Amino acid sequence: MKLEIKEVTKTFKAKTAVNNFSMVVETGQCVGLIGPNGAGKSTLIKIIADILNAEKGEVLLDGKKIKTMKKEIGYLPQYPDFFHWMTATETLFFMGQLSGITKQELVKEVPAILTKVGLINEQHEKVQTFSGGMKQRLGIAQTLLHKPSFIVMDEPVSALDPIGRREVLNLIQEIKHETTILLSTHILGDAEEICERFVIMKQGKKIEDTTLDKLTNNHQAVVHLELASHNMLWVQIIEKLPYVKNVEVLGKKAKITLDNIQQNKDRLIRDAMDNNMDIVKFEVGSSETLEEIFLKMVVSV
Amino acid sequence: MTPLYILTKKEYVQMFREFKILWLPLVFMFLGATQPVVTYYLPSILAALGGNQGITIDPAIMQQDGEQVMAATLGSQFDQLGIMVIVIAIMSIIQSDKANGMLDFILTRPVKVGSYIGGKLFSNFSFVALSVTFGYFVSYVYVNFLFSNIPFFTLILALGFYLAWVLFMISFTSMISTIFNGQGVIALISIVCLLLLKIISGLHPIIDLVNPAGMSQQAMMVLITGSIDSQLYGNMVITFIWITLTVTISHYWISRKKYHKN
Repeated sequence: MKLEIKEVTKTFKAKTAVNNFSMVVETGQCVGLIGPNGAGKSTLIKIIADILNAEKGEVLLDGKKIKTMKKEIGYLPQYPDFFHWMTATETLFFMGQLSGITKQELVKEVPAILTKVGLINEQHEKVQTFSGGMKQRLGIAQTLLHKPSFIVMDEPVSALDPIGRREVLNLIQEIKHETTILLSTHILGDAEEICERFVIMKQGKKIEDTTLDKLTNNHQAVVHLELASHNMLWVQIIEKLPYVKNVEVLGKKAKITLDNIQQNKDRLIRDAMDNNMDIVKFEVGSSETLEEIFLKMVVSV
Repeated sequence: MTPLYILTKKEYVQMFREFKILWLPLVFMFLGATQPVVTYYLPSILAALGGNQGITIDPAIMQQDGEQVMAATLGSQFDQLGIMVIVIAIMSIIQSDKANGMLDFILTRPVKVGSYIGGKLFSNFSFVALSVTFGYFVSYVYVNFLFSNIPFFTLILALGFYLAWVLFMISFTSMISTIFNGQGVIALISIVCLLLLKIISGLHPIIDLVNPAGMSQQAMMVLITGSIDSQLYGNMVITFIWITLTVTISHYWISRKKYHKN
């Protein structure tokens, strides 16, 4: 389902958390909302999930106000918490019934979804005994239970250990094909892995809306070179070569900018071979990683 | 199944799991027994402890009939310790959902704020009302045994009036629980306000008319005099207006999302 966010503004006392934010998420897209801590990601997500009211602007799902479309939304908060005295199964029955699913359906669906998130062995244990990762997975089960066509997730993996992170990322990969997803994160690697499109937020404003390809293509291609020894003399020599534009040395690594990289990268490697350089890594790629681009955009200059 | 039904059921299950279903009726049964027992044995206790010297209480003055003792159960037990117990039992009904984020969670589902508040009030009122009724009947049994019998109709009528006051206590405490975030603050404000209402009842007829605690006064009057006070209907209507007002404020507070801390 198509999600439209129109000029949303939200202020907390003196601080503007979300400032005139607009974007459109098309059906089937997976959008990563990235930004540093305090950029207003959680606030925006809460406005989309209709937990907070925006002062100005509106959020439309399929052209209708979000308030009337709650059945179509799955929401995962940053730290999902449930009634401690309920078991995993009871929690899903409770949330499922509130979403309007019948008991007969839940009897079938709940064990299936608990298997999917890997909690089937803990189905009759109380939420009280669950770790953060287990609560997160129960949260995801709850999000998927009523088969929403649009899912919002607030930092779904930030609080998890590497194993939990991997499990949750795989789960999201799986459901990605069936629904539209909007997730926030400050871990770029995660966003890079699951989303095609990124919206970068800073101080409540949208500062970039782009895809990974576009982001990296905008930047010049360079050669990343890593040598085994500290002998960087050769590197200093090649700086004088006519087709080398610039060399940046950082320890055993060098970032080399070339004229017409397609032709000249072979000449460069041949030159290195002739000089018996012990090459550990020779890579042609973007001059900047996503992280560097992100940092450049977000850290005020 | 409507959300109202599911939310109400969840409240009952929670009362079971937290043993509230056990201790609240027990407390009220204890409170109910206290008044007749203490009143009955007070002369003998005083005699045993005080001997014959100094001031003695004429046993004839202490002779009360069942109706008066029953009214005292409402006025001196339920309206004092009882209020505190009720407030403590229900002070976190909405506050705890706010604190652990369940209120947010529930409201992201297609659930109306009215169903949420309705489920809370219905389940908690029915349960507290049952506990109070248990205590009331325990008191009645003792009164019947130690003092005199009370006409059953009067008994039920007085209980009905008293429960209107109980409903106000619950809707008021829920409202405070919706607006404030600290359990201590909620308990303090609720107990102080409700006790204050109780204290000012009986001072002046006009105050009594607009005071929800006046319903407790009405219940006691029915027991003692056996007849209904002329102000009863007015008082009842105004009490229900107060209840509606507190529920409306809670509804407004949640649906306008004012309950978020920041």
